[in-house]
Amino acid sequence: MSTKGYFGRLLEVNLSTGKIEKTRILDSDIQNFLGGRGLGAKILYDRLKPGTDPLSPENILMFMTGPFVAYPIPSSSRTCVVTKSPRTSPVEKKYEHSSTLSYANMGGFFGPELRYAGYDGLLVTGKSDKPVYIRIEDDDVRIEDAGKFWGMKTDEFDKIFHSSLGEGRYESCYIGPAGENLVPMACIINTAARAAGRGGTGCVMGSKNLKAIAVKGSGIPEVADLKKYNELLEKIRGSFMKKDERVMDWRYGGTANALTSSSRNGTQAVKNYSEGTYSDIEKIGTEANREKIWKRDFACYSCQLACKKSGFAKGAYGVQVHDGPEYETGTMLGANLLISDLNGLHKLIYDGDDYGIDIISTGNTIGFLMEAMERGHIDAGFLDGIELSWGNVEASLELMRKMAYREGVGELACRGVKELSRLIGKGSEEYAIHVKGHELAAWNVPVNSSSWSITYATSNRGACHMNGGNSNRQDGACLRDSLGACSFASSWYRDEVHYRHILSAITGLEWTEEEFNKAGTRIFTMEKMFNYREGFRRADDTIPEKFFNNEFTYGDHKGAIVKRNEFTKNLDKYYESRGWDKTTSRPEDDTLRELNLEFTI
Amino acid sequence: MEDIFITKKQSRRHFLSRITYGAGGLILLGSYGFSIKRDSLTGNIRAIAVDFEKCTGCRTCESVCAAYNNKVMVNGELINGPGNPALSNIRVYHFNPDVDIPSTCALCDDAPCVEACPVEPHPETGRKALYRDEKLHTIVNDPERCIGCQSCAFACAQKRAGVIHPDPETGNPRFMCTLCGGDPQCVKYCPYDALKYIEMPADRNLDKLAPEKLAEIMIDKFYNFKKGEQQI
Repeated sequence: MSTKGYFGRLLEVNLSTGKIEKTRILDSDIQNFLGGRGLGAKILYDRLKPGTDPLSPENILMFMTGPFVAYPIPSSSRTCVVTKSPRTSPVEKKYEHSSTLSYANMGGFFGPELRYAGYDGLLVTGKSDKPVYIRIEDDDVRIEDAGKFWGMKTDEFDKIFHSSLGEGRYESCYIGPAGENLVPMACIINTAARAAGRGGTGCVMGSKNLKAIAVKGSGIPEVADLKKYNELLEKIRGSFMKKDERVMDWRYGGTANALTSSSRNGTQAVKNYSEGTYSDIEKIGTEANREKIWKRDFACYSCQLACKKSGFAKGAYGVQVHDGPEYETGTMLGANLLISDLNGLHKLIYDGDDYGIDIISTGNTIGFLMEAMERGHIDAGFLDGIELSWGNVEASLELMRKMAYREGVGELACRGVKELSRLIGKGSEEYAIHVKGHELAAWNVPVNSSSWSITYATSNRGACHMNGGNSNRQDGACLRDSLGACSFASSWYRDEVHYRHILSAITGLEWTEEEFNKAGTRIFTMEKMFNYREGFRRADDTIPEKFFNNEFTYGDHKGAIVKRNEFTKNLDKYYESRGWDKTTSRPEDDTLRELNLEFTI
Repeated sequence: MEDIFITKKQSRRHFLSRITYGAGGLILLGSYGFSIKRDSLTGNIRAIAVDFEKCTGCRTCESVCAAYNNKVMVNGELINGPGNPALSNIRVYHFNPDVDIPSTCALCDDAPCVEACPVEPHPETGRKALYRDEKLHTIVNDPERCIGCQSCAFACAQKRAGVIHPDPETGNPRFMCTLCGGDPQCVKYCPYDALKYIEMPADRNLDKLAPEKLAEIMIDKFYNFKKGEQQI
């Protein structure tokens, strides 16, 4: 009998042997690591030999749910994909294939459906000798031929795949051409719009010759204290249904609201992070989208915020119906490239998702190459004749296509800015905006640098904008990603409807504030120990040189820059707060014991 | 569900020419009522209407329907279940291009499902195995008399929304709307006010309720593809 609120069961599929198993999860692992990102990190640490090649059959691709997933707890539908990253590498390689772990979570309906089918997570190992997909209907699990789908872009695939599955409502996730072609920055897509975007999850999926997963289920895990659970549901629903300004803001603009506010605050990635404010931001902001692009709001399972916006663009780049600009996509393919043509931006986002490529890393990489062109470090010859200049939509579209198909310069560009700058040299490393090999996202560093520099420098998957700028925030993010809760809705879960009360009702275990917070610290530290084992040290916890040398020249925050000595001081303080050694960054033995992580010593 | 794919539909234009919105002006623009209850005093129809422009596809309706209609006994008290959407009587269908269509039993006035039930009316109650509840106007199955022939499910699929799905073991019909005893939970909890329980005329046309047909209308409304235009 497993902990209530869980099935205590994993579905494990080995694509080399075709073996399909249903395995038990240790109760101690459930209670220490909760689910999702946390349980994924623990499994990866336990099972993966240090130095494993992320694209080898031995790597494990995990689709983890959490104890909130499947229940109608508002905004708690996240699926966390956990695997060893094909994107990152340390300064000093302990192994040929040293890399961090990767976690990327996606909303929608896939995670809930996986739980309805009776599993807390799906683990895929091995490598199929031909393209396949995994089809799950409760206990019935099959590996099916996907030959006829191979090569399909995600929008077309989404339409055709579901009709091929026959009766019933399946949920699915899949890769596009980028994942198939082993583009390191490939992602996993669901509903043709939502992505487990970061850290090369789609590349690992492609390396297993796995095109898609389809799942349909009929069960739900038992709730320990149903009466309490119903009371809490009533309260939390009530607090959303007041429809206060915060709720209505999310519905009105979603994350795109931040396009204009972040630009005003000088925290936006503009012109390959050279600026924090974009003069043309209004052209691609919420108001412009409401007027010209967005047609309807759509939501993930049981979500009252509906931050997703289905857009319709018609113009020079044809016709697209797609989830149109969010803060990240709008910044990375808009402001960061000085693109303000809304139809062009919409087409770029559509193509990025259609290829199944991480739009954050893609926009960052294109921005890097634009800067390299401007500085004369490369010429159009390097780019197969593409005249890549700031604001050029056509050139960006063509470069992205080449990246997705690893064609010509795309073969180099798809590896990201760390590798590109190493190849180009000429000091281009200075403006290669990554940490540990993983590109930074749409939040710029110099303004609020004490928070943003720590956020990016210390994130366990390499630069991650969702990481948090201090240990408390980071631990909180770990908890949300492990429960399956969405960070956008987290501020509603306070006081009597705090996550830990809901977790207590579901599991029947009394989660104190102290134990709950400690679980968050444990999860973050577990990931850190995975990375430490791979050879990541303090020298890897840094931020790109540009931030120490480049001053903003525009906007309210003109002159903003990061001071190197302040960053060093803040990093020292961070390690101290975590109980980590300041020289090596390794968590002290006492810290590890205190967190029940003595097995990593 | 091969006809789920809008771009492949052959009969789209034909269908669109037949659809009528807002009969009698009582239905919200862009909405289509489906759950009907006749008011015994006024003779009016009360129905659950959907405003498809407001639905975001969050499926909160499914979980609250399932929770209310599948109660669990806890310490001698019957309380809402955990809300497994597989047990819900309302179901939201997602389409690409992006629209979401909630679908549930229409409690049709002429009830093709009841019509199709081959079980002889009971000599005392006059009810077949599938019958209409006089009070709420809902469609109810008597599992004692049901022979599991699935004629009702077939009739619904042929003529209406296709919401009746037989129980895989008994063949008994499932997923007819109960109106939750007169306080439909889907309406009460819809975060987006996409579901309303309102009065509307009795003579509404109910033969265009299949989710894929409604999806065509909404895709046309939201995205307005012109003939020959393709996504590129």
